[in-house]
Amino acid sequence: MGLVKKIGKYQLGRTIGEGTFSKVKLAVNGNNGQKVAIKVIDKHMVLENNLKNQVKREIRTMKLLHHPNIVRIHEVIGTKTKIYIVMEYVSGGQLLDKISYGEKLNACEARKLFQQLIDALKYCHNKGVYHRDLKPENLLLDSKGNLKVSDFGLSALQKHNDVLNTRCGSPGYVAPELLLSKGYDGAAADVWSCGVILFELLAGYLPFNDRNLMNLYGKIWKAEYRCPPWFTQNQKKLIAKILEPRPVKRITIPDIVEDEWFQTDYKPVFASEFDQNINLDDVDVAFNSIKENIRESTIPKSSSFINAFQLIAMSQDLDLSGLFEEQDEKKQRTRLGSKHTINETIEKIEAAATDVGLSIEKMNNFKIKMQPKQIMTRCSRSYLSAQVIEVAPTHCVIEISKSTGDLRVYHKFCESLSNLLKQKPDVPSQSQDSVDLCAAERKKQDAGCYEEPKSEDSKPLPGYKSA
Amino acid sequence: MGCMNSKSVRKFPAREDSLDLAAETAFTVNEVEALFVLFRSISNSIVNDGLLSKEEFQLAIFKNKKKDNIFANRIFDLFDVKKLGVVDFEDFVRSLNVFHPNASLKDKIAFSFRLYDLHNTGFIERPEVKEMLIALLFESDMKLADDVIETILDKTFVEADLKQDGKIDTEEWETFVKRNPSVLKIMTLPYLRDITISFPSFIFNSTNVERVDETSTRL
Repeated sequence: MGLVKKIGKYQLGRTIGEGTFSKVKLAVNGNNGQKVAIKVIDKHMVLENNLKNQVKREIRTMKLLHHPNIVRIHEVIGTKTKIYIVMEYVSGGQLLDKISYGEKLNACEARKLFQQLIDALKYCHNKGVYHRDLKPENLLLDSKGNLKVSDFGLSALQKHNDVLNTRCGSPGYVAPELLLSKGYDGAAADVWSCGVILFELLAGYLPFNDRNLMNLYGKIWKAEYRCPPWFTQNQKKLIAKILEPRPVKRITIPDIVEDEWFQTDYKPVFASEFDQNINLDDVDVAFNSIKENIRESTIPKSSSFINAFQLIAMSQDLDLSGLFEEQDEKKQRTRLGSKHTINETIEKIEAAATDVGLSIEKMNNFKIKMQPKQIMTRCSRSYLSAQVIEVAPTHCVIEISKSTGDLRVYHKFCESLSNLLKQKPDVPSQSQDSVDLCAAERKKQDAGCYEEPKSEDSKPLPGYKSA
Repeated sequence: MGCMNSKSVRKFPAREDSLDLAAETAFTVNEVEALFVLFRSISNSIVNDGLLSKEEFQLAIFKNKKKDNIFANRIFDLFDVKKLGVVDFEDFVRSLNVFHPNASLKDKIAFSFRLYDLHNTGFIERPEVKEMLIALLFESDMKLADDVIETILDKTFVEADLKQDGKIDTEEWETFVKRNPSVLKIMTLPYLRDITISFPSFIFNSTNVERVDETSTRL
């Protein structure tokens, strides 16, 4: 007979991690059996160390992060004495355990993990979030060996001095500029820590190490390290750019992504996919019901058009999300009317997209995704989507939405499309023919499947050698 | 009225109040506490009285004080259960409960019916739907010809008005909604699942108590 502590719907189990102000416990969701990790923070210590605002800010920050290589936060629970942060449980354990006892990973495995780490950081830095305490203890592996970055934004719980304390095992990963008691660039500091981690993955030991703390700081300050003999020239070159002690001269994450060695077998994660999947669910629901109507209705003429309630339900004015969202996070949306058939309307959308330099991809019969044309190796996180709703044979509603990114392209596209829509139809078509044509076209077309963009392998230039 | 004016600014809800609201809704005690953080910020944005007015409600949704909106008005009227012109915290929580992902479909259908029954006649009638549709198009800066609007309404009432008597009753509405689930999209706010993460400052006022169960359960 043991005591089992329950928090909300979770049963707390054994401790799986420990920090300065917190413990992490394995727990089970009593409703569905799902395992979660719960970080337990002592409320008294938070208040005593004046970290209240940091905790609030960082919890809100973690809410913004939706990326497959970042641990998700599910829920926050509070009691009189404790704060519980319920997070995704990552079953493969810490990366630290994998590289213990001087073992090193093979180069391919190390590179894959490094690529996932850089992907996650790129995503977060674009959102203005920095980790500031990257080390193998904060890097978890899931059951398939994929990397998950943990404790993003929670490093505020650590006092500044703790980062430099020997006990934590962190000193070897801190950027040289942190050794000063001044402000520093969070992005550059994270890059440095990534370099230390990459070195450790490939070498099996830390680049900077010394029993004497002052000696250790001296080595970090001067970037005094030596590569083992099995490092390739490409690896040495990249590590040298990362472990550059001057932050302003240090390589940036976008440039790391362009690196020759990094590009090998690189499969970028399009984080927008995850936001996009949420949207697609809505679209699927809307159009599944329309397709059902086509089968069920005994009046074929009107069955393929949207009804008034669906049109109203699409309105963001009826959406209470504004209560919960910050204004700037809200997607940009525009709605346009079109006095053309659905096929003509789609043609005009494609023409407008081409006009402003966007590449086009059909998601299904009614939705088009558009992205700025760029080198495929660059992961573009911004995109536009246009959804066409037929309300009558020669009338459509187009809803255009934009994810984070450049506002100028969005406005140019909307302007171009508005102008095209004002043009009169080339050939007036009878409504009956139009209905039949639309129905026939729709049956012939298969719903488009989203395909992962192909990333060209980076091939080393023949005869290329580093100086 | 004098009583309302003298009402003091509401402090963090007592534990019993949070427990009561949690018991009758899909929200946990912590979620009720997090909603209070939200409620307190929006209800004091214009008048610091601890009650939510229609103006404050619209300001919270649109971040724009001047915008008047038929839909926000309608939702506010439905939240205003006591018909006082302001919404207190208890009614705010009970009303938002309908939008919770775990709320029952039956409650969502009933609320959406009342949402569209603009004139409270007990039916959804063509003039009401037309009024909302035109308001929607106006808000979107989109213009559709009158005949197109009539076409949409014709098609809508062919589908929804099964008895063909020119109006939709609750039974017809339930049938229609189950065949067109996208119509209920507006009745679910996924944000309500994340409310504790969105408004985490509740943790510093929480009066929730941990439970320790004596069982032999093992993980």
